[in-house]
Amino acid sequence: MAGPSGKKEKVDKAGPSGGGKKKKDVKKETGLGLSVKKDENFGEWYSEVCKHEMIEYYDISGCYILRPWSMAIWEIMQTFFDAEIKKMKVKNCYFPLFVSPGVLEKEKDHIEGFAPEVAWVTKSGKSDLEVPIAIRPTSETVMYPYYSKWIRGHRDLPLKLNQWCNVVRWEFSNPTPFIRSREFLWQEGHTAFATKEEADEEVLQILELYRRIYEEYLAVPVVKGMKSENEKFAGGLYTTSVEAFIPNTGRGVQGATSHCLGQNFAKMFEIRYEDEEGKREMVWQNSWAYSTRTLGVMIMTHGDDKGLILPPKVASVQVVVIPVPYKDANTQGIFDACTATVSALSEAGIRAEEDLRDNYSPGWKYSNWEMKGVPLRIEIGPRDLENDQVRTVRRDNGVKEDIPRGSLVEHVKELLEKIQQNMYEVARQKREACVQEIRTWDEFISALNQKKLILAPWCDEEEVERDVKARTKGETGAAKTLCSPFEQPELPEGTLCFASGKPAKKWTYWGRSY
Amino acid sequence: MVASLRLPSLTSLLFPATTRYPAALRRTVCLRNRPASGFASGTAASTDAHRLRSKQAVTPRSQDFNAWYLDVIASAELADHGPVRGTMVIRPYGYAIWEAIQEYLNVKFKETGHSNMYFPQKEASHVEGFSPELALVTVGGGSELEEKLVVRPTSETIVNHMFTQWIHSYRDLPLMINQWVNVTRWEMRTKPFIRTLEFLWQEGHTAHATPEEAEKEAKQMIEIYTRFAFEQTAIPVIGGRKSKLETFAGADKTYTIEAMMGDRKALQAGTSHNLGQNFSRAFGTQFQDENGERQHVWQTSWAVSTRFVGGIIMTHGDDTGLMLPPKIAPIQVVIVPIWKKETEKTGVLSAASSVKEVLQAAGVRAKLDDTSERTAGWKFNFWEMKGVPIRIEIGPRDVSSNCVVVSRRDIPGKAGKVFGISMEPSTLVAYVKEKLDEIQSSLLEKAVSFRDSNIVDVNSYEELKVAISSGKWARGPWSASDSDEQRVKEETGATIRCFPFEQTQGIKTCLMTGNRAEEVAIFAKSY
Repeated sequence: MAGPSGKKEKVDKAGPSGGGKKKKDVKKETGLGLSVKKDENFGEWYSEVCKHEMIEYYDISGCYILRPWSMAIWEIMQTFFDAEIKKMKVKNCYFPLFVSPGVLEKEKDHIEGFAPEVAWVTKSGKSDLEVPIAIRPTSETVMYPYYSKWIRGHRDLPLKLNQWCNVVRWEFSNPTPFIRSREFLWQEGHTAFATKEEADEEVLQILELYRRIYEEYLAVPVVKGMKSENEKFAGGLYTTSVEAFIPNTGRGVQGATSHCLGQNFAKMFEIRYEDEEGKREMVWQNSWAYSTRTLGVMIMTHGDDKGLILPPKVASVQVVVIPVPYKDANTQGIFDACTATVSALSEAGIRAEEDLRDNYSPGWKYSNWEMKGVPLRIEIGPRDLENDQVRTVRRDNGVKEDIPRGSLVEHVKELLEKIQQNMYEVARQKREACVQEIRTWDEFISALNQKKLILAPWCDEEEVERDVKARTKGETGAAKTLCSPFEQPELPEGTLCFASGKPAKKWTYWGRSY
Repeated sequence: MVASLRLPSLTSLLFPATTRYPAALRRTVCLRNRPASGFASGTAASTDAHRLRSKQAVTPRSQDFNAWYLDVIASAELADHGPVRGTMVIRPYGYAIWEAIQEYLNVKFKETGHSNMYFPQKEASHVEGFSPELALVTVGGGSELEEKLVVRPTSETIVNHMFTQWIHSYRDLPLMINQWVNVTRWEMRTKPFIRTLEFLWQEGHTAHATPEEAEKEAKQMIEIYTRFAFEQTAIPVIGGRKSKLETFAGADKTYTIEAMMGDRKALQAGTSHNLGQNFSRAFGTQFQDENGERQHVWQTSWAVSTRFVGGIIMTHGDDTGLMLPPKIAPIQVVIVPIWKKETEKTGVLSAASSVKEVLQAAGVRAKLDDTSERTAGWKFNFWEMKGVPIRIEIGPRDVSSNCVVVSRRDIPGKAGKVFGISMEPSTLVAYVKEKLDEIQSSLLEKAVSFRDSNIVDVNSYEELKVAISSGKWARGPWSASDSDEQRVKEETGATIRCFPFEQTQGIKTCLMTGNRAEEVAIFAKSY
């Protein structure tokens, strides 16, 4: 039987390895545990949780090292998404990191949107380059000259390419690991079609994949919707997104975007094709991306005062098995049982690991793996051995259970599924509790101050959104539209815009955002 | 502390500044358009028979190797030149080969205990010296940066910077990580896949408690690369150790795999370095051993890049174009339906598409080329040029006899064509799989015999010169000095590619000095 979690215990001196003179200085406390609570100082809490093996800070502000613990999650999402887009006949490729200023500046709105964030290579070694070269903040302008070259006739369409790469945006606003960093990893898909209908359809197919990444993999509820004119992608026709919400800070966070670029870039980059009647037509384009920001949203949503909580589907270690030897117990037997448990689980395709280190107490290990967010812990002590059982402890709700070793695999599988579902459900309820429908400016301001996710009737005018931004500007940033959800509540005739008093056209989510 | 290691010098080994191919300059911007319009290579006067026949042929390899290489890359849609000089766009067909490389190696790395991670691409430039190969970011977000940033040419510095913080005790060792990333080296002379300003690679970095472990790791990784080269890409590389001159700056030992290209130049296709304690001493990367004493860690690093794709092209391609080993071919089988009358079309197409499904269901990467705009002949040439290992033809007569025609890319003409293979799924799948295996091993055999017939055993400098000037590799006993090695390079253009792991027994005398030699070395001109 396992000891009470969190307490430090001494490991039996006669330890398992019988390692001669090896010092068994069991570590008591090495700065384990978070120094702040999630509800008390969210920013500090987040940064501490991230530092716990997800990320390492680096001496260039806004650049982070992704450690294996977070990279593995990224790889799992990559595997899922890559297979899905390949089913849609999207092919991977790689375009250069470097953009010449000429093409970068070709689309006016686009460059206005990105220019302030571009990083420039101006030297190789000691010598100045003839022309400074930009590092991609996104690849529309790198790729589309080639689309113009490669696309000739209608048989070259659709052209569907994707790349997994790094991009650089030299922003000066507060860097936050995963959420806003100067360099990040992402996929960017760029497709070209003969008709707008095909483009429209793909925008939504991709958005659905993004929803699945968040809801099915990261257990984070999101809203699918349309971005406002102010918030859409610079140079595009319209932007759809999945939006998540962080109750603790009352901020929305744009989870991923799927843009229909219309024919604007096609015009600038002369991407034309000859249709079946021999007429020259412009293509319709989309671009879509999700980034390592997904990891930040997951951490913010699920983490608690003990640290991370990883959804089983993306956890690189789903189950950690910890031996709990007591004095005079059959230590070797316990260790063997741990190893056997791990191999049974691994064989069944469950990502399991044992922690047999002899310089840490079981209690220390519990805290350590809780901090790292492993969804399920299995403890095996003398009494478990006797009863041919193991003890499971869920990370999401702390529930403990003794399960017979005979039905270990089925039980664990079931538990992991339950944890995944429960994490989503809990997050969904927390978000629901924050949603507030408002009708007037006063209600809006009061909801904003209470960190609500605000659903408001809106006239859908750019000027009005700018006005709201101006009126709410403060230390914590201005409020803006997050998205207009595809699922619209009924909008009764005569409903007025909360901000302008003009007739409302739609329901829109508003809030401060990351 | 960092100053003692000059980052720039690290690049010298990965891309040793040996002889460059002069013709590369001439054609750096020769990557042409697309098959339909841009197949003809630069020489307009050429009367090559292929070109006349199909208007889509590449410069024959036998005529001009370099022109052929660039033509193949353009025509087979592997890559295009990038917007900035010396960069390249890797197109889906070329990228799929890189993905096959990644898939195989990534699994092997994990099986051997390595984890993937990601280090930032920009490093502070407090590292001494600015080699001309380093790209520097000086402006960001609209203003001059206080500190210039280096776009990573390789990651030893930042890795060690972090290892120093992560490693405390022997229990933290071994630390074994890898990353798949882009790196930048501002090269002046570039060649697609072989040497570009930016390229993709994996770089593994490990830290160990003992020199033995580090040595074992460095050897293990070169062994993984070697097996990959042989088994997946059918490239019979020669594994060995670099000479002192050619060893990675900062390494105690560099292991390499060297491949012989179709023009008999050597290509360094992968390296694995035993870094000893050089970096850990420079960065102060220490751990507490089991006796409580502070020790510097022992390290390795190892890498394979998109250069390997160039190696595959230049090993197996022929006058007709690309020839891909089945195991890494993005398309293993192309199915070309043939019909004349509209009445035949439906039957042929439905048979062809069921063949495709049968093969795909069996895990064969099959593609059906059912466009009606091109003739069957055009398609044959096109897919041959793209190097697809097997072509299946299906015509009306085949449909009625429930058979297909199977052609091998590696055996040209009638000899490689077999008629009357049953369409019955289990028969067809078994046949195709067997042929794919045969092609794979036959490509390797061919490459092995090409390699072996172009390595000459030499016992004197004269013999070495003769061998090198006839374009071959020279293998001979070597124990001479660095300056002798330098002299060989200056006089012949050849460098020591490696001291191969496989050594003959018996007493040897150095080809240069006549002194006793322990090992033979292989000399060759290289990319």
